[in-house]
Amino acid sequence: MTTVLEVEDITKTYMMGEIPVNALRGLSFKVESGEYIAIVGPSGSGKSTLLNMIGALDRPTSGNLMIEGVDVSTLSDNQLADTRKNVGFVFQFFNLIPRLDARGNVELPLAIADVPRSERKKRTKEVLTSVGLEDRMHHKPSELSGGERQRVAVARAIVASPAFILMDEPTGNLDSKTAGEIMDLVKQLNEEQGVTLIVVSHDQNIGRQAGRTLHMLDGVIASDVVN
Amino acid sequence: MKSRDVFSFAFGAVRLRKMRAGLTILGIVIGIAAIVALTSITTGLQVTITSELGEGFSSDTVTVSTQSFGMFGGGSSDFTLLVNDTDTINEIDGVQTSAAIMSKSVMLDFGSTELPLSVTGVDYAAYASIYPSFVTEEGSIPETPANDSVVIGSRLTDPWDNGTVLAEVGDTILISWTHRVGLEIVEKNYTAEVVAVLEEIGGFSMGPSDLGLYIPLSTAQSFFDTDEVNSIAVKLVSDDEEFVETVSQAIEDAFDGLVSVTSPTALLAIMSSVFDIISLFLVGIAGISLLVAGIGIMNIMIVSLLERTREIGILKALGMKSRTVLGIFLTEALVVGLVGAVVGVVTGYSMAIIFSAFSGSMFGGGMLGGDRGLSTSMMTITPVLTTEIILGAMLFGVLVAVIFALYPAWRASKLNPVDALRHE
Repeated sequence: MTTVLEVEDITKTYMMGEIPVNALRGLSFKVESGEYIAIVGPSGSGKSTLLNMIGALDRPTSGNLMIEGVDVSTLSDNQLADTRKNVGFVFQFFNLIPRLDARGNVELPLAIADVPRSERKKRTKEVLTSVGLEDRMHHKPSELSGGERQRVAVARAIVASPAFILMDEPTGNLDSKTAGEIMDLVKQLNEEQGVTLIVVSHDQNIGRQAGRTLHMLDGVIASDVVN
Repeated sequence: MKSRDVFSFAFGAVRLRKMRAGLTILGIVIGIAAIVALTSITTGLQVTITSELGEGFSSDTVTVSTQSFGMFGGGSSDFTLLVNDTDTINEIDGVQTSAAIMSKSVMLDFGSTELPLSVTGVDYAAYASIYPSFVTEEGSIPETPANDSVVIGSRLTDPWDNGTVLAEVGDTILISWTHRVGLEIVEKNYTAEVVAVLEEIGGFSMGPSDLGLYIPLSTAQSFFDTDEVNSIAVKLVSDDEEFVETVSQAIEDAFDGLVSVTSPTALLAIMSSVFDIISLFLVGIAGISLLVAGIGIMNIMIVSLLERTREIGILKALGMKSRTVLGIFLTEALVVGLVGAVVGVVTGYSMAIIFSAFSGSMFGGGMLGGDRGLSTSMMTITPVLTTEIILGAMLFGVLVAVIFALYPAWRASKLNPVDALRHE
């Protein structure tokens, strides 16, 4: 097994006006390829800050964060953008581009990564089929249900075969039945295709399905439990 | 991201907000159309005038006068050209013949109508040999004219195109000249008989005019009581440009540099530089409207940037680089600018054609001749649309669009993905 994510004693300090806020106070963990890991904790525990670091959206104040061996903490903005191509994001509010249809949205990461058109088409169709949306390819997000939108988001996250999928409250905006379906889908992707999953949530129940749960509290990892 | 993908992404964004894009494009269209219409009309006007000028005078004819042409002033000097200065000029190598021209503003009484015009005293034979347009339609130009003969331009027979004949061969015209002697104002009169009417000459020409009245030079000398002439027209033996220049210089030297010699080529150059200034001025005004359109683009793009902050956050989260975001926004402006420029060129040229269709009838009849003033002849302007105008206008439109998009695009590209994603 290879290590896809390695977090070493990272801290993050924000300035809230004049007052420094220590959102992360030194935490370390590793994620191996094929793992399904949940990071849970109440609001204010530093989950979102950690998510921004793991997703290469932001740099830590100190410590090292390696995504497939690339140290994010030292990268320029451009290199950071390139590193994000190796992360599959799934957001609470789906964050699809409203004017693009399902296929256009899923194709986007491939277009950004300069994948040739014919290959993009093929791969997009493949991925949309794997999330069960092969007959909804030409629908715009506004024509899709919440669950379907999140499936599109999942398809978009996995389409470029990133190092891991990073999910931010993926079920926060869905009813419990649909939420269950989405979590089943990602579990299936994890088990059948070996997709590495990192799910960040305040919902303790989310962690049940995961193979491992990190509990965060006040900017540190309170517990690291293998289920 | 490949430029083709950037383009289709940007194009999709423009197409989404049709009303907004349409109005933004309209701004560019108006600016470009104004520029194209004005430029093609002034260019057309310039072509019309230069070609009429080209027909109107032969390039082997130069004009000697005490000052340089028109508004560019020659500085005042006490030197005057006299009637017999033609002798000096005729002796210069390369000169075929010359004719002194004495011109004064007078009041003409046609019996039914009085008109202020100018009367020109010339030697008929010499004048005709220099200007081939000095030929008659009716009557004939006498070889040894009687003192009271007058040759009139064709326009004077029927100046308003309505059948009012002012003067015909055989009619008499009372010429009165008011001038100042010391402190007194003196009026002199004399009656001339029309011996010939010239053929129609056309709008712009050196030498004879459709509104001219020509009396023998000797008559003019005695009536105006002077030997002083306004200018001397000189016909050279060749129209070779270098030759004309050499002889012109010789003439100037013969008068110790106190005269200036104007060749048609120089005149054309001056006219064309005047037109360049006029058209630059007009295009400048049109440019202002384009500037306004540019500010409109900037405004719209800033609004669009605020609306699409989240979209930019998503794109960045998916790994898009800042410069690609910049590229997308600039491409959107490019699309707007390009569409606006193309539509603007077509609209502008159509406007120019419509304008020229109207102006043709305006210049011809009513407008200039309406207030009892006289115009020499009609002039039709055919708008000219050159490749330079098309490319220049399009480049300008696209440039304005892109330049004004630079700031909003730069701001979009600098958005922090974390904040952008959190944006509602």
